[in-house]
Amino acid sequence: MTLSRRRPRALVAVLALLVLAVAACGDDKPTTTAAGADGDATTTSTAAPDPNRVLKISAIPDQDPSKLTTINTAMAVYLSTALDRKVEYVPVTDYAASVSLFKTGDLDMVFFGGLTGVQARLQTPGAVLLAQRDIDDAFQTVFIANAGAKLAAVSDVKELAELKGKRFTFGSESSTSGRLMPEYFLDQAGLSSATDFSGPAGFSGSHDKTIDLVQAGTYDAGALNLQVWKKRKDAGTVDTTKVVELLVSPPYHDYHWMAGPDTDERFGAGFTARVSDALLALDYTNPTHAKLLDLYGAKKFIATSAGNYTEIEEIGRKLNLIAG
Amino acid sequence: MGAARGLTDLTEREVGLFPEDEHLVPLEKGRSRRVGGWSGRRAWLVALVVAVVWALWSAGVGRRALVNPGGWTLMSRFWKAAVHPELSGAFLRTTWSATWTTIAFAVLGAALSVVIGCIGGVLTSETWWRRSRPGRAGAAHGVRPGWFAGRVLFGLPRGVHEAVWGLFLVHVLGRDPMVGVLAIAIPFGAITAKVYSELIDDSAQGPYDALRAAGAGRLSALVYAVFPRTLPDLVSYAFYRLECSVRSAVILGMIGAGGLGFQLSLSFQSLRYGEMWTLIYALVIVSALADLWGATLRRRGAPRLVRRSAAAGVVLVVASVVHLGPDLGRLVAGRTRSLLADLARDSWPPSLPAGGWAELGRQAVDTVQMSLLAIALASSLAILVAFVAARGGRTRARRLLATGARLLLLVTRAIPPPVWALLVLFVLFPGPLPGAVALGIYNFGILGRLTGEVVENLDPRPEAALRAIGAGGAQAFAYGVVPVAFARFAAYSLYRWEVAVRETVVVGVVGAGGLGRLLEQQRAAFDFNGMLGTVVALIVVSLVVDGISAWARRSLR
Repeated sequence: MTLSRRRPRALVAVLALLVLAVAACGDDKPTTTAAGADGDATTTSTAAPDPNRVLKISAIPDQDPSKLTTINTAMAVYLSTALDRKVEYVPVTDYAASVSLFKTGDLDMVFFGGLTGVQARLQTPGAVLLAQRDIDDAFQTVFIANAGAKLAAVSDVKELAELKGKRFTFGSESSTSGRLMPEYFLDQAGLSSATDFSGPAGFSGSHDKTIDLVQAGTYDAGALNLQVWKKRKDAGTVDTTKVVELLVSPPYHDYHWMAGPDTDERFGAGFTARVSDALLALDYTNPTHAKLLDLYGAKKFIATSAGNYTEIEEIGRKLNLIAG
Repeated sequence: MGAARGLTDLTEREVGLFPEDEHLVPLEKGRSRRVGGWSGRRAWLVALVVAVVWALWSAGVGRRALVNPGGWTLMSRFWKAAVHPELSGAFLRTTWSATWTTIAFAVLGAALSVVIGCIGGVLTSETWWRRSRPGRAGAAHGVRPGWFAGRVLFGLPRGVHEAVWGLFLVHVLGRDPMVGVLAIAIPFGAITAKVYSELIDDSAQGPYDALRAAGAGRLSALVYAVFPRTLPDLVSYAFYRLECSVRSAVILGMIGAGGLGFQLSLSFQSLRYGEMWTLIYALVIVSALADLWGATLRRRGAPRLVRRSAAAGVVLVVASVVHLGPDLGRLVAGRTRSLLADLARDSWPPSLPAGGWAELGRQAVDTVQMSLLAIALASSLAILVAFVAARGGRTRARRLLATGARLLLLVTRAIPPPVWALLVLFVLFPGPLPGAVALGIYNFGILGRLTGEVVENLDPRPEAALRAIGAGGAQAFAYGVVPVAFARFAAYSLYRWEVAVRETVVVGVVGAGGLGRLLEQQRAAFDFNGMLGTVVALIVVSLVVDGISAWARRSLR
């Protein structure tokens, strides 16, 4: 009996402690926010911008995360010098998450693809296009195949009809060069990814994964970003006896940097323009800049405008990749 | 008995929106049923075989090539890396901090679900809504609108997997640890509320009624008459939730919450198998500790151990809050409100996917088939391994074998299903089959452990009696153990089937099809109306499966 008489007290104590612990979260807040240098994404009031606020940059996870970290850390270092700000690279796990976190204000500027850029502007009205790489206004997709699939290299999009009845994979569902444009080119060849492949079309998740899965024979063929394909071939990390090139597609507009609509509010008047100037100022004749540009596979960054992506938006709507 | 009866009973109750099925059937009734029960069992067995064959046929078994010989090299490279985990200082530091992040998510998720469970358990209990005069108790329950509203309010969140909660919450709370914590706490809180309400209702009502009759309020009557009696069970169940939370925290990590799951998916995308194994070993350790803690509480259930565990739990909660530093300000910030309003506006009304009802129906059928195959695979393997894995073997070799089997089970359930799915995809061609196999392997780890506990807790007397009258080992096993164990195994498999249906959403990555795949497509297109429609379909499918499962369990009892 003594036990059961003690239990209510133990219970009350446990519950009280739990309540205290939960309440303590509130007290913890100021310290953790400061310690984590987390900024205060939740206040968008008219208060003067915090000079110590960290600029959070990110990129759609289109390739090997360790490569993305190398590229974006280099960009963060460049921007922090050019803008005299702390800059942090925030990795994300998937394309759609980068659009969502851009909308919630957790990512200040993101290197989006063509489709994710359109989605981000629709989700976050007022978002500002900063710059694109020189290679992005004539970007291309490459179709590849497993050597064992006995598919021939072709010279015209229409000839992609040979993929009928094969196992085919895209990259991420939201990828421009790995999903949207390939789907569009397949459509021109009279194929629909929903019905004309053996089994449902795959979504490997990233361009690197597409190469690996086609090389392993999991899929007979796939489509990806030409730039990633070239880099992998140059680095010798793809077995070209097992994977062959089928077709390099016609060009279209792709990747670009974008900033949130309240960037000036958060970082001070004219900040958005300064960021875009910093990107455009990258000069290949400067060896430090050249190293950064090489990581991006580009010679320079150039201006871009929303009009460049109207076609992508139209295709996106037609293929149900943009709702509404 | 007390807490020792623990999990076996609790998890069987943790089912469906059909509480009336779950109350213990009086012994007489159960016995009279068993006489004619075999025809019922046979009918269910036939139905199961037909369903599995149908699912296999739909998955393409026997109709097209399923195994990809080209993928074995990648697969073997992964397994070979098991003996070469990445042990560089920098990566060990990453792993250490990721481990704490995962633990913190699990602890806070479980703690919050216990808080929700305590409140919800009271609000959905019949005891709470009963009129104070004991004589009218039976007549009143079920018609009280408060009780009914509570049941619905706490019933619906269970049909949605933690990962889906996470995907919605991230649109409102952004990049904040509260996303992961709430994604665990909402569905788990609802399950806990159901189990707690039944614990409250099952506790002897005499003292409660006596206090009420003496004029005590409902709350104080509960605190003094019901809680002391049920406390060991409440705590023991809270720790079972913690075990489940660890696994959920890893899955949520994979979709972006951070911690071991996040690192695991980063390393996998870079195909750094050595790193993956370092993370997997960390996962195995965390998962083993959580399981061991919970199992010890359930086995012994001594009041002192329960109290100390509860105190340790509180310390862990505080440490987790400090580690994650959730921004509680976000929960009430104006931006959060406007994002929530945006999400509500964007997703209402729910809509059908492209292809309409036919497409939705097809994907729903795929989901059910995938879960059926997964659970058929998981239970067959689990039953084989359960007897090996059970503690208490008589010879040294048996005990060694049991340890090996338990280790196998531990590793299979420590690796999250999306990772299994991607691994299976190396060697199986894409489609529903790799998804089902991945879920099957993962659930084998969970089911094998539960069935192993069943074997340990079996009454040894029937077997001993058979041996005493001269039966051989195999005979004694077949007649003394199997019949008793079978009912429990079946109950667990059916219960796990319900969970597997919800889990199909996390293996969509492998082109597995089903509602999870559809949801993923709609998310990529920011089609919130479609997403809501698919989530409603998921809830309906899981209610139907819960219903079938409850029906089957009742007729197998």
